[in-house]
Formats: sequence, structure tokens, C-alpha cells
Amino acid sequence: MASTSKPQLRRSVTPWGSFSWGYSDVGADIFVGLGLVLAAAAGASNVAFLFAGIVYVCIGLAYTELAATYPVAGGGQYFVMRGLGDVFGFIAGWAVLLDFTIDITLFAWTCVDYSSQLLPVLTGSIHPWVHFLVTLTLIVGLIGLNVIGVRESTAFNGIVSALDVVSETCILCFGFLFAFRPHLLVHTMQMSWPSPYQLMLGTSLAIISFVGLESISQAAQETQRPASVIPRTSIALILTILIFALAYSNLALGMQPWHPITDAAGHPVQFWQIFPNNGDNQGKAVALLASQVPYFGAIAAFYVPILGAVLLLISSNSGVFGSSRIAYAMSSSNLLPSIFQRVHAKFRTPAISIVTFGGIAILELLFAAFPSLHPGAMTIYARFFRNETGLDFLADLYAFGAATSYSFVFLALIALRLKDPLSPRKFKIPFNLPVRVGGEDAEFPIVAVIGFVGIVSILVFTLFTHPIGRIAGPTWLVLGILAYFVYRRHRGLPMFGSQKHEWRKAQVEILRNAGELELMDEYVANVKASDERRAKAAT
Amino acid sequence: MTVPPGAGPTITFTGALVAVVIAVSICSVLWWMLHPPKSQVQKLAAETARELKRMVGSIMVVFSPEINSSHMMALAVKLARGERSELLAVYVIEVPLTLPPDAEMPDEERAALDALGTAETIANANNVTLHTETVKVRSTKEAVLAIAKREKADLIILGSYLEGKYSGARLGGTIQDIAAEAKCDVLIGVEGKHGTLLGEEAS
Repeated sequence: MASTSKPQLRRSVTPWGSFSWGYSDVGADIFVGLGLVLAAAAGASNVAFLFAGIVYVCIGLAYTELAATYPVAGGGQYFVMRGLGDVFGFIAGWAVLLDFTIDITLFAWTCVDYSSQLLPVLTGSIHPWVHFLVTLTLIVGLIGLNVIGVRESTAFNGIVSALDVVSETCILCFGFLFAFRPHLLVHTMQMSWPSPYQLMLGTSLAIISFVGLESISQAAQETQRPASVIPRTSIALILTILIFALAYSNLALGMQPWHPITDAAGHPVQFWQIFPNNGDNQGKAVALLASQVPYFGAIAAFYVPILGAVLLLISSNSGVFGSSRIAYAMSSSNLLPSIFQRVHAKFRTPAISIVTFGGIAILELLFAAFPSLHPGAMTIYARFFRNETGLDFLADLYAFGAATSYSFVFLALIALRLKDPLSPRKFKIPFNLPVRVGGEDAEFPIVAVIGFVGIVSILVFTLFTHPIGRIAGPTWLVLGILAYFVYRRHRGLPMFGSQKHEWRKAQVEILRNAGELELMDEYVANVKASDERRAKAAT
Repeated sequence: MTVPPGAGPTITFTGALVAVVIAVSICSVLWWMLHPPKSQVQKLAAETARELKRMVGSIMVVFSPEINSSHMMALAVKLARGERSELLAVYVIEVPLTLPPDAEMPDEERAALDALGTAETIANANNVTLHTETVKVRSTKEAVLAIAKREKADLIILGSYLEGKYSGARLGGTIQDIAAEAKCDVLIGVEGKHGTLLGEEAS
């Protein structure tokens, strides 16, 4: 008898695999974010990280609940589409796509920055062309590898993540044990407190240290027992990253360097003071901090740049395949043209998606690097973009994309709690208000409202403090929405409304495919009881 | 405030406390993450795996002129290696009532040497210790059940009847009787061609 069932993604991702999948994305962010935030928020960097961290915890909890309830590939875009409708699903997915393309460039760029700690020829300010060409080569190489279907294995991800968790824990433990001066932290916070503008800038940059949590939910379809495992891996990831971000920022502000650091005039300066107005240092902050940790720094100075570069390269690669994955999922939901589902005849990879979004990443690299390659362009950038180039430019867009998509995810969480109370939630965000909607008992999530207010304020900070972010980000969205309308009209699909979805049937299938049979039984029983209640009420 | 140059590393109480809190927090969070609660299916799978350990603690493979167990020997060895089981191969020669109990049966004894030699070779190749035994009895069934009791066997592995030795019952009367009366689990390996025959008969 011929089988008619569709092949399913194999559920091979273990709890550690799921964690490392997210960690290889989010864990790399602190390598980029620390220097940028220290440069922007100075003595209030820890406060910037704390504010962004609180919002991040809310985001993490929202993703955890949604990914455990709807364990499908697609992540945020799927949740928003299901909760708010097709057009909002598109906007959220399109914002995530922006983040993934930035992810490719930003992490390839900082991968080169970290490598420059051991190979000075890669230093961007001294050899801009070498820096640019190596970054470009990395991006093109990753695109090529993804097109022919070569990817780092989950096992490799797991090993690098494990090494990094151990390494960062050691850096922080040794740093706090031997180099932390509480009075220096208090003094720095008092004497170097930034202006409100700088604090907003720092906070909007701090959020980029927490971007990428959706990687876990994107891998939900391949995770073993996702409804049980994902809440744990997500919460573990949230806490690990939060501990690292808060610890790094406090250590950087209250650290007595192992080797005295001096400015150009030979005066000793504090560790955090090496970051403002120094793009090279901003790009390799963790390596610089590690090298200043007493005793451990002697070893860390050699391996942290390498480990950082590897982790950043993995993260850059996750941008390449993440963008193609999202584009594939959006295309399957008729949010993007079907061309993005097309796979290469020989390599069986979504080559068109990979090349398209990899190409956008290269354009972003050109825009970021142009002034350093052609100093004449600097006047244009100075006039229109307040000198924002390189890392600043990439970080701007990264923060914009993340804040936009996360805002919609909070709204989707609220909507799904009210519209779909029958789906069993193995993990539920605490602090809820009981409400009754459409004859069903539901719970209104207070944390989602707090998170939404927090992320929208970060979005406002981003638009207010980032000249490029407030132009390029919305432009990306507007162009995307226009293209979406053209596509939907061409396909004869509703432009503002949604296609007809059989969510009940879909949910049973999702839970069955996830191997969450107990949850599937619970959902079916909930639906049956609900239907009986309604029938009774009707008679 | 600038840092005095040359000030060596010193340990502060706050710094040490934070370092300990970080290390403990990270370790406990990761430990918690790696130990999710088990689902019903996983509990059943774990129980089955435990049951298998009990089931194959001591394995006995039975050969006789009527029972061909050579193909099951390799399986028994793999099981024994994976589960670190005790492994015993027994060759049972049934002495007809027309002969005295200790009668010479050179052909059968030669066949026993071949069968047990093959079994030993398979075991050695897989680095498994194998005990062998050849017994002459009036009833294969009685002997197998007695040895299984003596050796406290958890699993008896049997092949199928040999070509030309068909005794009327589908698996051979002796094999069926052992399976019916054994106090432990019995695994019967029917070779493909016999399986096909049985399938045809069943249908």
C-alpha cells in the first residue's frame, strides 16, 4: 500500500541541543552588545542592561509559552499570524527577516573584530579594506555553504556552546573574585552617569544582547517533546544570558584591570573608558575584558578571541539559514511568493531564499563599511546619519527589527490567550487575570502588557536615538508591506484580512506531530467539552 | 577616579559572593534544564528497558539435532554483550528409549561439537564469555526446563526445527512444549523460509 503521509522533520534535538541552538544565537549577542552599551551608556550601562533584561525576560516568557503551546517551525511569525491575522504575521515575519539579514552581517563583522585581537592585520580602523574583504568573504562563504547544504552540526553547536558557557562563567567568577571593586562601581555610576539621551541609546542597544531567543521556537518542530523541553531550555537560556549580561556590565564598570590601562596622554583610565569613540574596541569587548581578568586572563587572552569568533560565525550562519527558514515558513503560509519555497534541484536547499537574503546582508555590509572604505562619503553620513557607520548602523537596524517583531509577539500572546483558551498550555506565564471570552474561561496575561509597554518604549528609544534606524527600519517595513499587498492581490487572497484556517484541526496535528500525545488528548477533550457546552446553551 | 597603577589583585567579600552566586546559579539552571519531567511514553519506555535488563540477565541458547539455533546464537551474543548477560549454550542429545541412557551416539556428538564450536567462535569474536554444555537425555523438553531452572535462566532462546525433522506441530512439538511450560521468557527464532511457510499455513 502506498503511503500518502508527508515526510516530517525528524525530532532529534535534545534539551541541550535546543539550548545550544538558542545559545549559539543569543549567546553571541553579548560579544557585540557589551562594547556598544558601555560606549553609549557609560556609568549606567548596568542599568541599561537591567531595563532591557526585564523586557527580555517578558519576551522570553512569551516565546516560551507560545512555543510550548504551538510547537511548529516559524516561531514569532506563526504566533502573530495565528493570533492577529495574516497581515500582522507578515509584518512580524518581515521584521524578523530584517533581523536575520543584519544578524549575518553584524556577527560576521564582529567575528573579524574578535579575530583582530590575535591578528592585528584585521583591525578595521587600520586596515579597513582587509576588514571589509574578510567580512565579505565570510558572508559569501556562508551563503555558498548553505546553498550546497553544508551546515555545522548540532553536536558542534553543542560543544561550542558548552565551552562558551564554561568560559564565560570562569571569566566572570575570576573577574568578580580578583578584580571587582564595589566602591569603584558605585563611583563610576555616580561620576559617569549618562545624559537621558545616552541612557536611551544605551538601553536600545542593550536589547540587541538578548535577540535570538526565537531560534529555540524555530527549532520546536525538531525538538523532542517540545512542550516539555522548550519551557526549560528557554527559561535556562533567559536566565543564563541575563546573568551574563548583568554580570559583565557590572564587572566592566567596577573592574580594576590586571594590567593598568592608559589613555593617549599616559593617564590611567578605567576599563569601560576604552570603549567610547573606539569602534575597534567596541567590536571585541568580551575579549578585552577577559584579558584583564587576573590569572585567568593570561589564558583567556588567547582563547576567548577564538571562541568568540567561532560563536559569532555560528551566529552569523544562523542568520543565513534562519532567514531562509522564515522565508520558507512565510511562503508556506502565503505571506511571501512561493519562489521562496523552491529548493535547488541538486542540493535540495532553498537556494533562492538563501541568496536573496544573503544578498541583502551584503548590501547592508556595503552601507556600513562604505565611509571607512571611501572617506569622501563620510560627509554624507555626517550630514544625514550623525556619523553612524559600521557597527552603529548594523546595531540600529538590529534593535529596530527585534523591537518591532517582539511588540507583535506580545500582542499575539494576548490575542491567543483570549481566542484560543482551549489549547493546553504546559507552560503559562504567571500573573493572569481571569476573564470570560465567547463563553470560555480565559486568562489575561499581565506580564504581556508589561512586556509590550517595555518593548514599545525600547522601540521609541530606537527611533528617537538612531538616525538610521528611524529611516531604514520603517522603510524596510513599508516596502515589505507594499510588496505583500501586490502579491496578495495577484494571488487573489485577502489583502487586509486572513485566509480561512482550520486552527482546531491544525492544533491536533501540531500536537500529534510533536509527540505530545497527552496534550493532544487534553485538547480534544477540551474542544469536545466546549462544543457540548455550546450545544447545551443553544438548546 | 583613576586606578592606581600596579595595584595587585585583591579579593573583596562582595566580589567573592557574586562569583559564588554566578557559578551556583549557572550550574543549577543548567542542571534543572537537563532534567525535564518524563512523559508517560518515556516512563513506559524506561520501564521496558529495565524489564529487558531483568529479562536477559542470564541467557540460555538451546541446540539439538532437531533444533537449529545457529542463526539465533549471533543475536544472543549481541544481547549478552550489550546487557552484560550470562550466556550458556546447551546441546541436547535425545537418547531413544531403545538405547541405554549413556549410549554412544557419535554422529550427534560430532554435530554437538560443530554447533557449540560455532557458538564459541561467535562469542569470542564479540568478546563475550560463553559457557557450553552437552547433555544426553531421554526428553529434550525435560532437560531444557531442568537446566533453565538450575541456571536460573531469564531467557531461553531457541531456533526452529531442522529440515526433515518436522514433528507435526508448526514449530516442532518440543519447541512448542518448552515455550508453553518454561517459567521464564522464551524467544523462538524462525528462519525466513519457515516463516513464509507458517504464514501460508496461517492464511
